[in-house]
This record gives sequence, C-alpha cells and structure tokens, in this order.
Amino acid sequence: MPLFLEEHRQLLSFNYPGRGDLVEALESVAGFLEDKVMPMATKFDQHAAKIEETRKELLRQGVCQMPFPKELEGLGLPFGAYALAIELTGAADAGIALSIAIHNTAAEGILQFGSEGQKRKYVPDIVAGRKVASFALTEPTSGSDAKAMGTKAARDGEGFVLNGSKAFITNAGEADVYFVFAATPKGPSSFIVEGSNPGLSFGEDLPKLGMRGSRTSEVRFSDCRVPAESLVGEEGMGFEYAKKMLNGSRIVMGSLCVGIAQAAFEKSIEYARSRKAFGSAISEFQLIREKVADMKTGITAGRLLCLHAARVRESGADFGSEAAQAKVFSTEMSLRVCDSAIQVFGGYGYTTDDVHRHWRDARLLTIGEGTSEVLRMLIARRELARSL
Amino acid sequence: MKIAVCIKHAVDESELKMDPGGSPMITGAAGKMGTFDKNAVEEAVRLKSSGGGDVTIFTVGPADARKSMKEGLAMGGDRGVLVTADPVRIDSLSVAGLLAKAVQRDGSFDLIICSEGSSDVYTGQVPPMLAELLGFAYFGYAKKLEVSGSRIRVERSLEESVEVVEAPLPAVVSVVSEINEPRYPTLIQIMQAAKKPLEEVPPSALGVETAPKVVVRSMSGQGSNRKKVMLDGTPEEAAAKLVDALRAEGVIPR
Repeated sequence: MPLFLEEHRQLLSFNYPGRGDLVEALESVAGFLEDKVMPMATKFDQHAAKIEETRKELLRQGVCQMPFPKELEGLGLPFGAYALAIELTGAADAGIALSIAIHNTAAEGILQFGSEGQKRKYVPDIVAGRKVASFALTEPTSGSDAKAMGTKAARDGEGFVLNGSKAFITNAGEADVYFVFAATPKGPSSFIVEGSNPGLSFGEDLPKLGMRGSRTSEVRFSDCRVPAESLVGEEGMGFEYAKKMLNGSRIVMGSLCVGIAQAAFEKSIEYARSRKAFGSAISEFQLIREKVADMKTGITAGRLLCLHAARVRESGADFGSEAAQAKVFSTEMSLRVCDSAIQVFGGYGYTTDDVHRHWRDARLLTIGEGTSEVLRMLIARRELARSL
Repeated sequence: MKIAVCIKHAVDESELKMDPGGSPMITGAAGKMGTFDKNAVEEAVRLKSSGGGDVTIFTVGPADARKSMKEGLAMGGDRGVLVTADPVRIDSLSVAGLLAKAVQRDGSFDLIICSEGSSDVYTGQVPPMLAELLGFAYFGYAKKLEVSGSRIRVERSLEESVEVVEAPLPAVVSVVSEINEPRYPTLIQIMQAAKKPLEEVPPSALGVETAPKVVVRSMSGQGSNRKKVMLDGTPEEAAAKLVDALRAEGVIPR
C-alpha cells in the first residue's frame, strides 16, 4: 500500500509552492514507513514485537526534527509538512505515530517555554531521537479538569520535591525525559524530570483497546527531587503552557487519525473489488459505493482541516479553535471510516486484527489530548465570545 | 580513491500498468532508482567512509532521473552527472558509450561500481560493456569488495560457487543485492543533497553516436498458469504426497 499519494503531492504544491524539497522529504519518509514500519504493525498490535528499535530508527530518519528550528538540530520545515508526516506514520502504524507525536509535544513545550539552557540541553537530543520524551499531565482523578491536579511540587532548598501520580502516560517507563505538571502554592507548574530520577516509578503497561505498540502506564513520584533549573518557565503558569502545547498536539492527533482512516479505506476498496456476492464484486453495489464515497470525502475533509489549522499556526495567529475543529472532526471521521471498513469486510472485518485494529487505534483519540466534548466547548466558546 | 557509481532511473515496477494487449506501458510510467543500484551506491559510500575519497554518481536518463540522482546524493554521493538521454530509446551499448565518455571526461576513476542489472529490464549488459570501452578490468556479481592500496579483491557470487579474484585498479564491478543493506537517507541528508552539485550533460557534448544497434520491437507480459493441486489426508499423508508430487515435477531430486 503506497502511503504517499497524489493528493499529498497536490496539497504540498498548493500550500508550499516551489518547495519540491517537502515532496522529497515526505516521499522518503513514506518509503521508510512502507519498508520498516508497516510490516511490523500487526506484530506491535498483538504484542508480538516491541516498538523500541523501530521507533529509534524512525526518529533517526528525522520525522520529529521537521518542525524544529535548525539551531536546535531541527530541519526548520513547516508545521503542515510535519503534520502530513505524522499522517503517513499513522497510516503505517498508529501506535508508533502516537509515541513519536507525544515525544515531540514534550520537545515543543521545552522549545516554547524553556530557558535557553533547557532548550540546548534537551531539544536537540529529543528531536534527533537520541532521547525519548514523554508528556505527563493527566492524573487518575483529573483529565480534562487539569487544574484539579493532585501532584504537588514543594520547595526544598534550591530545588523541588514532587509527590503524586500521573495516569495514562504515553512512553511512560521508556522515556529519558518527562515533561511533568505539578502544583506549587502558585498553581500548576511544569518541570523536566529525567527518567533516571530515583523518585520516579512506573505502573504496569496498561492493556489497551488499541495503540498497542505504544507503552501507556502510570508515572509515580515519591519524594522525587529535582533541581531548581528543572522548572520550565514561570511557576504557576503550567496550565497555560499545557493548553498551548495541546493546541499544536491536537493538529497532529487529527492528522494521525486521517492516516488511520486512510489505511482502513485502502484495505476496504481493495477488498470490495475482490469480494464477490450475487455474481459480482461487492464494489458494484450502491450501498458499498456510498460507503466508499463517504469514507473518501471524510478523509479529504479531515486532511484539509488539519492542514488549515497547521497553516494558521504557521501564520503566528491564534489557532486553538482551528486545532480543536481539526481534531474533533478527524478523530470522529476516522472512527466512522474504520467502522465502515469493518462493515465492508463483514465477518472478516470483525475477526481480522489487521482490519479492526484501525478502529481500535482511532478510538483513543476522541478521548486523549482533549475529549471531543471539551474541544466542542472550546470551539463554541470562541464563536460565542465574538463581538457581533 | 575516486569512485564512480552508475545507476539507472528504472521504471517503478510496482506502479507499472499493462495495456489491453498485455504490453507494459513504459512511456509515462513512474520511475525510481533501480533496486540493486542502491546496493551499488551503498557500497561506494561505505568504501568512501572506510578508505576516504569521493563518490560521483552517473546516470543516463530523462529529466525525471534527477529524482534518483538526488536519492544517491542523499545516500552519500558527493556529486552527480546526469546524461540527458532516454534509455528507453537507445540501446545498452549506447548507454555504456555515454557513461564511458562521461566517466573519462570527469578524470581518472579508480573504481566504477554498477549493479548486477536494472530492476526493470535487467539485461545486465551495461557494466561489462562499460569496462570494455574504458579498458578496465571487469568483475560481475560481486558479493564482497575489498580495496587495499591499488588492488581490489572481489568475491563473486556465482550460481553454485563463490569465486575470489584480485586485480590492480582501475576496475568496473557489478554488485549483487546480498553485498549490503542500503541505507535510508535521513531527512537532513535529503535536504543537504539538494545543495550538492548535479550536472546535466547532453549526449551531444560527449560525441557519442546513440542510434541504436539493437531495437526492441515489442515487449509483452508472460502469463503463467498455476496447477492448483490440492492434497488431502492427514498431515503425514499430505506431506508424503507433496514430496512425491515435487519429485514428479523435478523440483527436488528423485
């Protein structure tokens, strides 16, 4: 299944005219994913292989370097091109795409809010894949209501002591660097905690519905001491930072879901053309054709919404609502498309990992990185606050 | 050491379509660097990184071949020379003639690495022709290369044996895919490749006669019918029947 399609080429040339280098970059990413990642996807899903080695190779290819500045070992490429690269990765294997996207969200937080020293110390290693990063915000009893966080950071001489726990953390136990939110008396604050810190411990790898290649578990802090220079930005500003980090991440999660949908769609049309019923291929039947048309239209719409949000982000304007729209639409579209794929495959869809895993993978993303409900709240709030 | 690699911007066989008459639609088909040519580039880049020197990539191809050249440069080539002629319209001898002139024009190369054959038509003719035209030693089907000083030692992968040969440089070598695993260029290398020199040379500048001596009149796909034999019984019985059937077909010795 070729991952880089004519529509990707068109979108790149329409949005970034004269940037043939972006086409070359994405074609090369697609070639790597087709050869090295796609053949592993069902093995990751069935826990028959671990993603570490493949993820390391993928990071070495430079996908995560794309949107970062050159002086920090990035490639200085537009965010929209990065979002398309994550889409291709999501089509190859959603779990590994989730793992590297979250990894990059941590680097993005350090880039946006960290000191010069923190940027130089962490961003190059993370984006070039020498270190794996993780983002720890959600807690066992606070998800969307992130302000209610129970993890505390107390002043201890020159540094801080963290106590509490974080839930459903992607890359937990595998990461070298954790971007952690913990409350000080001034409010939620953000810290960089090294994976080797003896005050850190991790729960079991949670048995998930999908995204099984990525590791998800609890992260516990017990008297976890960090030096003063691990505080990122200003004390008490953590919630504002988290919101900004999540805005960018939401575009990427939307793109990831477009990729999942694309993979399920390609399998559906191939099957529909070969499966015979009542003397003809089922692709000849109008109700199957309706599915094919709706699947394709949804995928294209989702891809465009994500790219639009990325373009608004590149312009420097506020893109919170556009990111939320892209994520709500693309994640829900992806679920519909993957559900239709199971329907097209019939009994084989319900019983074949390589078909139903797409639905199981997509199912996470109407919850993670902002639930559909919270995102609709954000979109509506901005529209209703506009002056008439 | 000055190394040249000759590659082909081959038809991407995975995207090749057939016309209703069963002939492949070569004109307008998407192209990519020949699968085995990546092994040739990889070997050159490895030799460069272990023994120093530089790697120039040559091809005879249409304008679209720039894509394959850039890939070779991203893999570690230092510069590229694209002779702008369509290999579909000329024959292997003309391709070898153009490559020989381009190589000679660029100075004295110690080693020229090609692949065993292109991944589209796979005639395997260009490397030996090139060696003959340049007056270099030729070693086909290399599965291992070692250069020490001004000598080359080659392990040749023949059908049922391995031949080890040595000769003084310069030489032309064609490599087989088992010689190495080609690297995937990283995105940084792809971006940097855009800045590496890539020269385009028209055939007229090389003074080579490209009127083909061999003309391909037609090319058609070959159908194959499978026998679809079903064997039944217990696993032991089915295995015995399978062995008998394979013997009867001459697949395994009687």
